[in-house]
Amino acid sequence: MSNSVFSVISRFVEEYRSSTPNKLKMIDAYLLYILLTGVFQFLYCVLVGTFPFNSFLSGFISCVGSFILAVCLRIQINPQNKRDFLTVSPERAFADFLFAHTVLHLVVVNFVG
Amino acid sequence: MYPFEGLFSLLVLSLVLETQALTPTHHLTTTDVARLQAVLSQPFTDLKSAYYSVVGLSKLGIFVADADETCRFINSNLDPSSVESLFYAAEASQALSGCEIPVTNDTRDLLLATVSEDSTASQIHQSVSALSALGLPLASQEVVSALKARISKEDNVLAIILALQTASRLSQQAELGEILEEIEDLAARLDDLGGVYLQFEEGLEATALFVSAAYSLSDHVDMEPPLKEDQVIQLVNSIFSKKSWDSLSEAFSVASAAASLSNNRFHVPVIVSAQGPAAVSHSHPFLQLQVTDVLCQPLSSASVLVESASAVASKSAILSQSRFTLHGVFELNFMASQPASGYYQFSVAITGDSRFVANHVELKVKVSTRVAINNMDLSVVDKDQSIGPKTTRVEYPTKAKASFMADSHQNFAMTFQLVDETTGVELTPHQTFVRLHNQKTGQEVVFVAEPDSKNLYKFELDTAERKTEFDSISGTYALYLMVGDATLENPILWNVADVVLKFLDEEAPGTIQAKTLYVPKPEIQHLFREPEKKPPTVVSNAFTALVLSPFLLLLILWFKLGANISNFTLSPSTILFHIGHAAMLGLMYVYWTHLNMFQTLKYLAIIGSLTFLAGNRMLAQKAVKRLTSQI
Repeated sequence: MSNSVFSVISRFVEEYRSSTPNKLKMIDAYLLYILLTGVFQFLYCVLVGTFPFNSFLSGFISCVGSFILAVCLRIQINPQNKRDFLTVSPERAFADFLFAHTVLHLVVVNFVG
Repeated sequence: MYPFEGLFSLLVLSLVLETQALTPTHHLTTTDVARLQAVLSQPFTDLKSAYYSVVGLSKLGIFVADADETCRFINSNLDPSSVESLFYAAEASQALSGCEIPVTNDTRDLLLATVSEDSTASQIHQSVSALSALGLPLASQEVVSALKARISKEDNVLAIILALQTASRLSQQAELGEILEEIEDLAARLDDLGGVYLQFEEGLEATALFVSAAYSLSDHVDMEPPLKEDQVIQLVNSIFSKKSWDSLSEAFSVASAAASLSNNRFHVPVIVSAQGPAAVSHSHPFLQLQVTDVLCQPLSSASVLVESASAVASKSAILSQSRFTLHGVFELNFMASQPASGYYQFSVAITGDSRFVANHVELKVKVSTRVAINNMDLSVVDKDQSIGPKTTRVEYPTKAKASFMADSHQNFAMTFQLVDETTGVELTPHQTFVRLHNQKTGQEVVFVAEPDSKNLYKFELDTAERKTEFDSISGTYALYLMVGDATLENPILWNVADVVLKFLDEEAPGTIQAKTLYVPKPEIQHLFREPEKKPPTVVSNAFTALVLSPFLLLLILWFKLGANISNFTLSPSTILFHIGHAAMLGLMYVYWTHLNMFQTLKYLAIIGSLTFLAGNRMLAQKAVKRLTSQI
């Protein structure tokens, strides 16, 4: 059982390393970073307490929002999805990403207190 | 034919109903008149105050004690070159008997020269008054034309009032018609306050001077002033509402207004007030009314008539068209009509002189009586009514000899009747209370005795039902009956009997707590919101480092993946974009530390639009590069 799981995972990793373009790998690294940041914030909240609750919420929402926006960017940039995004060029996707981030950070900074 | 008659009778009815005139709400009492005299009798310091005092007191009908002394004072303070000084001296000397002011030709010429269009209305008034007081001849027609010119130039209230006063000194043959019309114009300028007061915005003095000037001119030309009765009463209210006066001139103006309102040919306001409280009883059967003018002088020619007197509660008429008799004050023996006790609405008319104003007055009169308690029966009734009630009759003011016992199986009952002592009519006073007082513990419980349909008062005490009021404390309670009412002359507090109440002992509290309502309560300590407990700084710092650590991981991963900036074109749009973007991130930091949302949005709009334009350019260039490299 574990054997098949292990083999699936290793095959997946191999596929990923070989067939994913570099750009996407960079975005994936960014996604990992965001994920870890969010997890560590949550860990703090669980272990120590929710004292400035608004700050925790704003930080966590920031992570979640950034993660979502990065995922969107990755989807839109991926050349394999080109057919789904005929009107959206990669540059346009990046510009949308930046704009959405501006709005997100405005809200986050307002809430962090 | 018929509808026309109906309309006509409706019109007559409406006219009849309209005659609900005002009556004065403010007037001078005898103490106020005395105070006015005292103010005007103060020792005078200069000619002006001498004028106010002497002339003011003469209007009130009082003459200065030492006329010679005053005359000498006037003569010594007189300045013959000043019109104002001559005016004060002339008027004051006229009020004193046997006081002469020496008049020279120069004085006369000065006064006559002041009568012209170039002098102010005040100066014309002073010179004309001085001339007439000193008995010097003057040309009335010239004065009239000068006054008319001044009125049109100085359109203020005070000037017109002085013009009216001046006109009353002129010959009756002069054409005073236009000046007379000014009274109506001035009356239109009065402010109506709430339908009660009528006064000039210039104040009390102006209003009072207006009244005295208007009436003196109207008397002089023998034409009724165009003031309605209600307006006269409103003026009375305004002028006599102030009972202490700030200055001598104000007191003088009130005195002249009072004098002119009590003695002119057209309108004499009547002040009707009850002597003492407006109440009659068997011991005081006469209702006494004081009927005076505004100076509290009794009206000799008046005759007072009760048009109707009706009970307030039942609206049944008791009296109609009865005359008051004059024995010093106007009195009427109201008890002779045998009214029941209560309040009566009197409608009184004062006749005798066609000049009387506000001569219909409504009065509320109270008829009091003495109450007697009849048939006071006390009994202890068994609840299941197996044993008949034992009734004891008690006579007021004695106390029942035996005390009554009532426990939880019995009710204590009390019945009595309240009647008028003289007529025997049953009464229902406002307060009929039964008070039970425990002398040992000091407890007091009060109940209300209610009358039934036959006006028989009943009180029942159900021991079991009422045990909470008594706190279930058994013992001897003294029973009191309290009877009171506004129309009763003899309120009653009668210790009728002693009642021994037995409650089930288990429910009695150990000690009796006096109900302390008015002792200081325990102080409330305000609990300020405790600041939340913060974790130790070490922990916070550790976690901050932990949260920032993935960034390092990111940089390492990107480096390993081969991220570089080799494609960085140094075009202006690229540089501008990166600078703008960095500025936006910096703005976010500044927003967190210093700014509020509005300021941030303002800056963001500026930086953002720049960044957008630059970024748009940059990305377009990148897109072009990508597309060309693909092809």
